Amino acid sequence: MARRSKTSPAPTVATPLALPAELTIYTVGALHPQWLAWLGQGPAEVPADLQAAAVEQVDAAGLQLLLSLQRALAQRGRSLHIQAPSTVLRGGCEALGLGEWLKDQIGPMAEGAHA
Amino acid sequence: MSEMTDADNSFIQEALPAFISEAQEQIESLEQLLLQLEDAPRDTELLNALFRCAHTVKGSAGIFGLNRVVAFTHHVETLLDKLREGQLDFTPALGTLLLQCNDQLRTLVAQARDADTAETPEAVADRAALVERLQAAAGHADKAEPAAEAAPATAVAPTPANAGSARCWHVSTAFGTDTFRNGMDPLALLNYVRGLGSVPNLVCDIVAVPPLDQLDPESCHLAFELGLDTDASRAEIEGAFSFVRDDCVLHVLEPGATPEDYARLIEAMPDNPRLGDILVACGAITRAQLQHGLRTQSQAAAAGATPRPLGEILQSTSGVSAQVVNAALNKQTKAKQRDTAPATAAAAGDDGRFIRVQADRLDSVINLLGELVIAGAGAALLARQTRQGTLIEANAQISRLIEEIRNGTLQLRMVPIGETFSRFRRVVRDTAAELGKDVSFEIVGGETELDKSVVERIADPLMHLVRNALDHGLETAAERLASGKPAQGRLTLSACHESGSIVIRILDDGRGINRERVLARAWERGLVEDGVTPPDEDILRLIFEAGFSTAEKVTNLSGRGVGMDVVRRNIEALRGTVMVYSDPGEGSRIEIRLPLTLAIIDGFLVGVGASKFIFPLEAVVEVIESRSAISTPDDRGRSVVELRGRVLPVLNLRTLYGLETTEPERISVVVIKSGSHSYGVMVDVLLGQHQTVIKPLGRMFQSLRGMSGSSILGSGEVALILDVNSLGESVAGKPPAPAKSRDVTNGGPKSLARS
Repeated sequence: MARRSKTSPAPTVATPLALPAELTIYTVGALHPQWLAWLGQGPAEVPADLQAAAVEQVDAAGLQLLLSLQRALAQRGRSLHIQAPSTVLRGGCEALGLGEWLKDQIGPMAEGAHA
Repeated sequence: MSEMTDADNSFIQEALPAFISEAQEQIESLEQLLLQLEDAPRDTELLNALFRCAHTVKGSAGIFGLNRVVAFTHHVETLLDKLREGQLDFTPALGTLLLQCNDQLRTLVAQARDADTAETPEAVADRAALVERLQAAAGHADKAEPAAEAAPATAVAPTPANAGSARCWHVSTAFGTDTFRNGMDPLALLNYVRGLGSVPNLVCDIVAVPPLDQLDPESCHLAFELGLDTDASRAEIEGAFSFVRDDCVLHVLEPGATPEDYARLIEAMPDNPRLGDILVACGAITRAQLQHGLRTQSQAAAAGATPRPLGEILQSTSGVSAQVVNAALNKQTKAKQRDTAPATAAAAGDDGRFIRVQADRLDSVINLLGELVIAGAGAALLARQTRQGTLIEANAQISRLIEEIRNGTLQLRMVPIGETFSRFRRVVRDTAAELGKDVSFEIVGGETELDKSVVERIADPLMHLVRNALDHGLETAAERLASGKPAQGRLTLSACHESGSIVIRILDDGRGINRERVLARAWERGLVEDGVTPPDEDILRLIFEAGFSTAEKVTNLSGRGVGMDVVRRNIEALRGTVMVYSDPGEGSRIEIRLPLTLAIIDGFLVGVGASKFIFPLEAVVEVIESRSAISTPDDRGRSVVELRGRVLPVLNLRTLYGLETTEPERISVVVIKSGSHSYGVMVDVLLGQHQTVIKPLGRMFQSLRGMSGSSILGSGEVALILDVNSLGESVAGKPPAPAKSRDVTNGGPKSLARS
């Protein structure tokens, strides 16, 4: 479902943010400034695309960074659009009680892709 | 930031070996405790110590992210907790299971070195099987006491939403900001909590997570509300959080918690205005119940009753601090010092009093010390030559200090042998069970200390001898009863100091060694010429010959005919000797004699002609002046002297080693004690006590009988260190060793003795 949205003409000009294979305490330090820079680029009012298929390793610190990104986007009136979350990412969210949250970040846009 | 990550990585890499060695000590303690429990199954001290050991392993494994270890230890811990709480009795079957689990743990910890290695499916299956057995054993406990975990009855009308299961706890936890930096991962922790039972509902409270521009990505802002359906006790649930307790807010509500309890929970977390909604969202409570609870709470507050603060109940009931564990284990160790592994002592002692030092650093200090001793002796010699009193005195002072440093440094390397001995408890237990024999195992003199490197290298030979005694020596209960012995066999491992050596004895009261069979086998194998019957003692020694085995049934434990000769070679490589004594039907005794250290000894320096020899000082009993009382030596330099009415065999080194010098008029006889007998050695001059740094003998001299090493004197001269035991054998007329040495020892002196 989510994968199809990739091909759909998303109304965004910003480069999608690609999640790395490792989204853990070992990488959050390096990712944080990158994501902040990326956050500054995107135009307002446009869903921010996140390519999440490559994620192979997550921990609570990594998922917290993702949560924090979503909150920052929300403050700017933008929504997060997680594309093709990998099994690991889904599992990690589920384990951390973020299953519903993840669905919220996929759900609306996935439907949008069908439309 | 990324540097810091690298630093963390390298920290883990550096700390891992320390973790592994500590975990191994804990595992060793676990094993000893389990074995002790078999004798005292109701000892609560032991049970508590056992639990703490397992808990410590689990905790530190968690820090290093060794999930296999954590997951497996958790199951062990669950069972141990049941034992500790008296819900389950320690049975031999449980003991066996726990020992097997301990072995598994040992394997897992060993694998931690390379965490990435994939496990074989067999290993995974093995572990799963153990876990299943652990769960079955622990589950059995519940049946024994079904009411133990029943939910407390409450008088309050509204039933919590979780009441669908009477065992559903509610856990509310907010992780501290330093959680990630401390190496903990809430994700892993939650997965671990899932292992306690099932988590029907879990909500991550993200209210505290700041937006990206305000976030320090290495600070943790996560909080969780979860229901936990489990048989575990409060202590176990809180125990799961013990490694984050320092900076984590944790509230655990019992199954059947009232809405008032939830209301108090909400009050206890004033920073979180949404908690009520979250609790409702995660199904812990319905909104109506929540409102009811909040109302009751405020009424109570209005009435002046102090509400029981939630935090108070929850604090410090779990997460036994390292100090407490250490203190308790320390106490334990003191109580059991005689027979517990020093591993426990090392693990238990309070951290400030132990320093871990790499063995090679210590070795290099000892090497330097050896040089210092030689240099010091040289300086003392020069000082004496100057005949300046003050210089000589100053040098004497230095020599004394060097000696003290030497003793102190060598002490650092000394470890009690009990640690090694204790490992055999398990071997004896398992081997005896496998062979269907009933054996009691006793350790005597476990506190006897000897050099660490000797301890390490003696373990394997000992293991073989112990197995051998179990397999070949001790009989089955039926056989024992038939021969009028008690059904339970006895195996004793003892150690003591004896004239500068340590003597390790392996004693059994089994069938003894059958000399006829040994001899028959020796004939068959061509070890002894057919039909020739050597003296009794020599027959027994044949068991140490290569390729010898008398077992009628070859078991996989021993009796493959390899080993006893290897045992002897290993012991001889340590400058030790091994002897076997046996009374048919009464049992056998194997005696291993080892030097205390491989580095430096206190020596007694003597001169024969131009040659210098050193006796280990501990072996020297006395020195007697002797003029004419000595009989004429035979061609091996043996004679006798009368000492206080007894005949003392005396050895003439001049004859024995063919020293081409003439005998002076006055000679001294140094009386040496070797094991249970004494003998004298004729020398020309006594040069006094000497700190002797042992250097190995050159290859040329290695076959020489009666020598154990060489040493360099202060003057640069070389002195040979005499091996009092093998020298004693020369006196007693034991067959001199290999032909090569016989040429040296006997060839020359003959002509000299007759000249």
